[in-house]
Amino acid sequence: MGFIGPLGPLSSKSRPTPPLLISQQKPDVQIREIKNCLEPKQLSESSTRFPFPPILRSKRQRFRSTMASTFSGDETAPFFGFLGAAAALVFSCMGAAYGTAKSGVGVASMGVMRPELVMKSIVPVVMAGVLGIYGLIIAVIISTGINPKAKSYYLFDGYAHLSSGLACGLAGLSAGMAIGIVGDAGVRANAQQPKLFVGMILILIFAEALALYGLIVGIILSSRAGQSRAE
Amino acid sequence: MAGTSMVADSSSWSTALIKISPYTFSAIGIAIAIGVSVLGAAWGIYITGSSLIGAAIKAPRITSKNLISVIFCEAVAIYGVIVAIILQTKLESVPSAQIYAPESLRAGYAIFASGIIVGFANLVCGLCVGIIGSSCALSDAQNSSLFVKILVIEIFGSALGLFGVIVGIIMSAQATWPAKSV
Repeated sequence: MGFIGPLGPLSSKSRPTPPLLISQQKPDVQIREIKNCLEPKQLSESSTRFPFPPILRSKRQRFRSTMASTFSGDETAPFFGFLGAAAALVFSCMGAAYGTAKSGVGVASMGVMRPELVMKSIVPVVMAGVLGIYGLIIAVIISTGINPKAKSYYLFDGYAHLSSGLACGLAGLSAGMAIGIVGDAGVRANAQQPKLFVGMILILIFAEALALYGLIVGIILSSRAGQSRAE
Repeated sequence: MAGTSMVADSSSWSTALIKISPYTFSAIGIAIAIGVSVLGAAWGIYITGSSLIGAAIKAPRITSKNLISVIFCEAVAIYGVIVAIILQTKLESVPSAQIYAPESLRAGYAIFASGIIVGFANLVCGLCVGIIGSSCALSDAQNSSLFVKILVIEIFGSALGLFGVIVGIIMSAQATWPAKSV
């Protein structure tokens, strides 16, 4: 009624009237609304009759119903499985790269003063490289274990593979960091005091064992895949 | 059994994942395969190159020999290109009724995971080779007998990129889309 808003002058016809509050409505409507809120709603007879759920009208409604009624969660299981293989390889490679780079820098710095010790000091680099191989093993085990055509792949299997990959990968990452730092300090110290070589090797073996624990647990976990149902 | 299970039984992760098109996952996987590999290669090249140039001020003889470190980093980018091209040949069109079928979803996830594997393995490989290459140049400038010995360490480093490519290609063989219905 003469109101001009941001969209231009609006007549009462083009503007929809807002719904009335309960307090603004007639008494019998008020009583009905209050009863609806207080009492549990009874299912009308039509919704309990065959066919149940009710027949859906639009294609979108039918599609959504199909997705809802047949969706069991197992369709996304390969996502977690493949992500487990990815985690195994990527994190192990991160650990191997860190170990190789850190101890390699130590070897190069040490080799300037004592070139004859360089070949002996490559041991930490080799041990770091082995971490990448652990990750490769688990990634290939997982990747070839995902075969829905041969055997159903349930969500249990997906989670088992994810945990297997994460176990091996993160253990490899930690072991690589340890090997890198110990190798760097070890080769530099070995150049100044040759008796330290055996000590450095011992510490490196303990660090490598961490990755081995991850590999063992990863293999055990990935062997659990396929054991969720008795078939 | 599958017909009677309800959405409420599954986790919210699965409910969210099943609504994302497998082509989204495939595209992101292929992009990561090439993009992150090239990032790793570039990172390695600038680490090596800057050390190489600085060390060559006093020892210009090292430049031509130590370019091999730069080439090792470049190889990492080539691995990314190869795998990205292989992955994009695995993309197939499926009829629109089949886009969210379990087999299509699995193919999308396989390409995504393959791309992540290759991309991030090449990223760390490029970094590792770059750092070792920089040390190689610096020690070669002081003592030329060290070049070959430090190169051995660099070869261990570049094997990591190869692991990524191997696993990525094995996994991309899993990317089988449902056959077009006749």
